[in-house]
Parts: sequence; C-alpha cells; structure tokens
Amino acid sequence: MTALLPHLVRRLGFYLLAAFAALTLNFFVPRMMPGDPATAIFARFQGKLDPAALDAMSTAFGISDAPLYTQYLDYLLNTLHGELGTSLTYFPAPVTAVIGTGLMWTVVLAGTALVIAFAAGSAIGAWAAWRRGGLLDRIAPPLLAFIGAFPYFWLAMVAVWGLGFQLGWFPVRHAYSPEVSPGWSLEFVGSAIQHAFLPAGTMIVASLGGWLLTMRNTMVGVLDTDAIRYAQARGLSPRRILWHYAVRNAMLPSLTSFGMALGFVLSGALLTEIVFGYPGQGYLLLQAVRGQDYPLLQGLFLTISLAVLAANFAVDVLTLVLDPRIRR
Amino acid sequence: MKRSLLLLFLTAVGCAPPSHARPEGVVVVVQEQQAAWIRNFNPFNQTGGARWPSAAGVYEPLLIYNPMTGAYTPWLAETWRWVEPARVLEFTVRSGVKWSDGTPFTAHDVAQTFALLKANPALDSGGAWRILLDVTAAGDTVVFTFAAPYAPGLLEVAHTPIVPAHIWRKVAEPTTFANEEPVATGPFTEVRRFEAQVFELGRNPHYWNEAAGDDSVAALRFPAMSSNDQITLALAQGDIDWAGAFVPAVERTFEGRDPAHHDAWFPLVGDTIFLFPNTTHAPLDRPDVRKALSLAIDREKVVQVAMYDYTVPSHPTGLSDGYADWRIDPVPDTDNWVRHDPEEAARLLDQEGFKLDSDGVRRSPDGVPLSLEIATPAGWSDWVRAAQVIARDLRALGIDVTLQGRDFTAWFDRVTKGEFALTLGWAVGGPTPYRMYKGLLASEGVVDVGTAAVTNWHRFGSVTADVALDRFEQTTDPATQRAIARELQQVFLDEAPALPLFPSASWGEANTRWVTGFPSEADPYARLSPNSAPEPLLVMSRLRWRDAKAAP
Repeated sequence: MTALLPHLVRRLGFYLLAAFAALTLNFFVPRMMPGDPATAIFARFQGKLDPAALDAMSTAFGISDAPLYTQYLDYLLNTLHGELGTSLTYFPAPVTAVIGTGLMWTVVLAGTALVIAFAAGSAIGAWAAWRRGGLLDRIAPPLLAFIGAFPYFWLAMVAVWGLGFQLGWFPVRHAYSPEVSPGWSLEFVGSAIQHAFLPAGTMIVASLGGWLLTMRNTMVGVLDTDAIRYAQARGLSPRRILWHYAVRNAMLPSLTSFGMALGFVLSGALLTEIVFGYPGQGYLLLQAVRGQDYPLLQGLFLTISLAVLAANFAVDVLTLVLDPRIRR
Repeated sequence: MKRSLLLLFLTAVGCAPPSHARPEGVVVVVQEQQAAWIRNFNPFNQTGGARWPSAAGVYEPLLIYNPMTGAYTPWLAETWRWVEPARVLEFTVRSGVKWSDGTPFTAHDVAQTFALLKANPALDSGGAWRILLDVTAAGDTVVFTFAAPYAPGLLEVAHTPIVPAHIWRKVAEPTTFANEEPVATGPFTEVRRFEAQVFELGRNPHYWNEAAGDDSVAALRFPAMSSNDQITLALAQGDIDWAGAFVPAVERTFEGRDPAHHDAWFPLVGDTIFLFPNTTHAPLDRPDVRKALSLAIDREKVVQVAMYDYTVPSHPTGLSDGYADWRIDPVPDTDNWVRHDPEEAARLLDQEGFKLDSDGVRRSPDGVPLSLEIATPAGWSDWVRAAQVIARDLRALGIDVTLQGRDFTAWFDRVTKGEFALTLGWAVGGPTPYRMYKGLLASEGVVDVGTAAVTNWHRFGSVTADVALDRFEQTTDPATQRAIARELQQVFLDEAPALPLFPSASWGEANTRWVTGFPSEADPYARLSPNSAPEPLLVMSRLRWRDAKAAP
C-alpha cells in the first residue's frame, strides 16, 4: 500500500490543476455566448419594460460593467468562499437554492439508471462473450444495439404514450404524485419509485447496448490471451477464471467510461426531464443558457466539473486497486 | 419534430384513461412553464422570478381592464374619475376590504405602494414614475397627478398591484424581497404547500368580493410543467382545470376527448404580429417598396401553415378584434396593402425602378440585386414557418430572400439595435390603439442604429403622427380619442411603416368536469386565457366547485 501514496499525491495535484482550469472555463464560456444578461431580461418583457427600470434592475442583479479580469477575480474569490451568487432568471433566489430544486432527483434518477445499465450491461456482455455463439450472444447484442440506435426522444415518447397514456400503467409526469408530500413515508417512496420507472427504464434500455458491447468485445480479447489459456491448463474452475481473471481485466476500459458517465450524471438528463416532466439539472441548464444567467451557469458548471473530477479520481483509485501494473 | 410526434400519438387512438380525481375544491392551474418552482410572491419582481399568481390572484389592482368588454372593472377602487382631464386622476377605494391578516385596506396603502415604486426603480418595471408627479391619499381617496397630461397613464396606475404598507415598510430590500408569506387582498393568499414540483394557494380568509360567494373552491394547485407537450398531454388526460397553452389541433387533442367538459377558446383579441422592415435599410425606406412586399404576402397561407388556422389575416390597420370599434372599417381598396395581390406588388416595384432581370431577381437601376434577410428567433417554430411562407412569396416577386434564425437573445439584441432588414415581431397593446401606434409611428421612439429601441425596431417616425399622439395623450373624451385614432390609422395606411400579418390568439383551455364558471365563447365575460395578469382575477371570483353528487 505504501507505493500507492506518492502516486495518489501526484494525481491529486493534477486534479487540483484541472479544477482550476475548469473554474476558469466556467467563467469565460458563458460570456462567449452572443447577447448579454441585460438584453435577456429586456427581451423577457417584450417591450413592456421601462429602460430606467432596466438600469435599476441591472444594478440590483449585480450585472457588472467592470473589466472582465476584475469580474474574474471576484468570481474566483466568491467561489472559494462557496458564494455562488444570485440567479438572474429566478431572481432573487440564490444559485444554491435553484440548483437544490433538481439536484437530488438528478442524482437519484440518473445515478440509479447509470449504475443499473452499467452493471446489467457489463454482466450480460461478459456472459455473452464467455458463452460465445450461444443463444444470449446471438440475441442480446444485436437487439440492444438496435434499440439503442433509436433516438432517445422517440423511445421516451413511445413509452409515455404506450405505457403511460394508453395503458395507464405508469404516471407520465413528475417525480411523485401531487397527493403525497415529500418525506420518508411509505406512500411517498412508493410513489417516487412508480414515477421513476418510465424515465429510469427508458434511460437504461437506451444505454444498455453500449455497456454490453464494450464489455463483450473487451472480454473476447481477454479470453483469447495466454493468461486465460494458462489458467485453463492449470485446471482452475471456469467460474474463477471468468470472474477473477477475465472480467477483472476486461472491466478496466468500461470502468473508465463509467467514471466519466458518473461525473456527467450531474449535468442532468435533459430529454428525460422534458419528456417525463421530471425535475433535474438538465432543464435548469437550458433555462440558464436561454436567460444568459451567468451565475446559474457558473454554479451548474461548477457542480458538474467537480463531480466529473471526483468521479475520475475515484476511478483512478479503483483502477489502481484492480490493476497492479499501474502501481509500478 | 417533437410536437408533430406527440400530435400523431394523441390523435392515433381515441380512448384515454379517465382524469384522475383530485381533492375536493382543489383547482389545477397551469400558466407558467417551469420545471421547478422557486418560492417568490413579490408582485413587482416580474422577470420570471415571481410566481404567476403574485399579480393574478394574490395581489389586486385598483381596476381591471377587460378586453372582452372594452371597459375597466372597478376592483380595489370603487370609482374613479379625472379631476382635471388627463392630468389629475382620483380613485375612491373600496370600503370593507381587508388584507389577508385582517388589517383593513386603506387609501394610504395605495399611496405607499407608489411611494415604494418611486424609491425602488427596479420594481417599477412599467415606468409609472416616468409619467407621475405626485400621489397623495386623503380619507378614502387617492389622487394621482401626472407630470404632463397623459390619459393613457390610467392603465399603468390602475393595473399596479397594491401591497400592504404595514408589511412592506418593514422590508429593508424590497428589490430582493422574495415575499414567501404574502399578505394580500386577493382571493388566494395562503401558501398551503410549496415544493419544487407543486405548490398550492388556499383561500384568503378575509376576501372581500361578494361575487366570489361560496368558498367551494378551497385552493389553486400549480403543478410545474416545463413544456407545451407536457401540458397538452395533461390537458388530454383531464388533469388540468385551467391552462393558457398553445395546443396543436385542439379539437382532436383536447376538446374531442371529453366534449361535455373540455373547452378551448382562443379569441383574437391579442396583439398583432408584424413583419418589420428596417426603414433605415435601403430600399425599405420607401413606402411603396414596403407596400409591395406586403401585397406579395399570402396571409391566408401564413395563418394556415404557421398558426394552424387559429387566427386570421390581419386587418389593414393592424388592429385586432379587441379594437373593433376603433378601426376604419372598411378600409378602401386603394389603402389596403395587406390583401394578396402579387401583380400590384410587381407593378409597384417596377415603378420604383426595381426591374426583373433575366435570372428572376429584381435589380435597382444601378444593377444592385434586391436582396433581403428575414430574421427570426430560432426555435419559435410558428414564426419560422410564417417566415418560410413569406420568403417563398417574396422570392416569387423577384427578391433574393434568405432566412436567418438566431438564438432568442441574440435575435432580440440585433433587432432592437436595428441591425436587420426584415424581422418578425410583436406590437405592444393596451386598452386603446394608442400604445400600438405610439410604438409604430412616434419619432420619440426612433433611436440610432446600434442603440436598443424599446418598441420602434423599424425606426420609423412621422411628424403627423407625433402631433396626433400628443393630442391623444391630452384627451379623455372617447369620441375625440376615436377620431384621433382614425388619423393615426390613416398615417399607418399611407406610410406602411410595418406590415401586419395576423392578430395573436389568446390561448385558454378549461376543464369543467370538477369546476365551473369559466368564461367561454357562449359566456364571454372575460378572456379564458390566464396569460395576462390581472385579468384572471375576473375569472377566479366566478369559479365554483361542482357538487360531488351532481358531477357526471
């Protein structure tokens, strides 16, 4: 374990640098969009806003005419103090409160969907490669790749229309029924699960094929290596060869993509949120872009970049544990 | 693509599950399109920060202008009169009105509300203090003195939401005040629950309006819905009682699903949508060129393709049905350049020197091809479709037309700064045609290209119109106002500063299975559409919960 520590410290230094770069980009990217926040506010009134009121609002909203570098320094200082500012589109709500409306739902919905899709896809992929040419191998990869090739929007619409609207099996909007209140009651949790079924289900079905194919194809390669043949010659049990040697090695590329995907969970699932009327980060991001809401955009980008970095760091550590070669 | 997909699904199969039951007395309303609610009931915080009921259900104004009747309905004020025409306005406040905390409402509250706006310009989004000089309360009257005679100022004053002085004087920063527990005079003031996904407003225990009668409607419930598709689906399922959304093919998707209860009503009393020519952009500075463009447009086709036939081609004066008794009617054929007449359009362009060349494009006498760009906000699919029809008609006339879609804010930035040739746009309406023509014709609104203009994007000013508008501001006599409005219409018809396309419909849908009392085409006491505060107050006071046993 002692060999791990210097390596981790080196990685941590790299991540700090990456975080700083992300912070800087988060500041400059929104400001490169055409237009500016004052125009966006003005536009929302469709000609019914008095110009004097606009000036007063710009001041109240903290829309600054200061040079970009002083704004940037202020932004860095505020962010370090955990001060994300006031949203312009949801004025005067603080950015943290706005992000708070959807964060939990996004984490639970997209997180669960991702973990299930990754676990199930990889397991089916591993099994298909192990029993290469078997029934599962002939049916699952082409079928799931076929489904995954549909535009997600279409898939989700079909689910809403068929399972939700026509058959009435599942609710077609929101994260829980308006008749229950959020809390740790049985009704609420049951309602939340029922409401998550279609959005999570469509996300899983749409992404399952990708995980499956990656895993299956890497597995096929790994199973062909001398190491596996040697293990078979040594007479190790097939189960031990499959899970302990083949899967462990074949997991590495999938695990890296999983880490990336996990980080990007926080950017929300915009299409899912729109079709299923589900709360989350994706729609907030869209609103922030539409309203030129720099503080909200910065806040959302910050949570996304930190999550991506954290997930990657976790995957780094995990890879280190799974693959001893990297430690050298 | 997505709209047509849902439409296809909704119309494909007829049957639908019955609408979900709801708690007794809870009316489901959808007006704002939001994915999550942020708690804010500051009625002056209108940039999307405050929830819709803040100015339509929670707080109330002195009078409510009703475009269906063309008259003001007294609300917190019992009577009003001009003490000095167009200059000094007096309201007598209603007696017996209480704030929702039980404190009596007085004329002092009205005066203090305006003092609040004066002290905090960021809250005065309508610019009331640009026209006001002084507001004083005495007994049960409030007197407004305008800085200069300005009869149209009645609307600004009358529609300002009135807030309680005893609460707001304790607010340190009214601009950033989210007012989470509103104390107000409206019918629904009690926040029963507030979650990101849904909130409910319960009845004001001290509501004054006798017409509101029984209290069978206990609360309004607002589910967060972020897209038209979600709202259309919920309407089809009968899960919404009152909405103001654009619904495609509404007879099939909504009304046909429960003909006895589902009612959509889209009266054409909204503001008109225009094609604005930039009059600083040659050759659009010439009236006959503008008229030629207008004559080439097949407006029947525009409303059919872009608006699902929910609206009709505009009146030549650009005034919608909401101003029917103000219009020059009929407009003589010689002045009517909104009709579809490609031959006349071609003749006018020939006469202006733009002759058709062998390649099918018209050229100026010095050989410059007549080439114009139409700007639209990208993603506004109805406008984009309208622009496509217009482009096709103008190309047929021999003009090299390109369409340019831009992100809304970028588009808005360019058109307000006058950096465009042709663009679709809206006009600002009001109780009289004054506002629309002020925006279209007043020299005062003309600013340099590169500076943002509030309304006069096309940068057209007429001295004749300036004089007429000035006289309009100074008279409160309806007959004189109508005569002046006809002069303004004549200037508009002579100069063609902007090309009216079609009046906007006001979208409104109601489901009367659980609750009754909504306005309809048969009972047009107000607009069904909840989209223009404070008008929805007129509807809220008539809503009644259906007797559970009588409900079909």
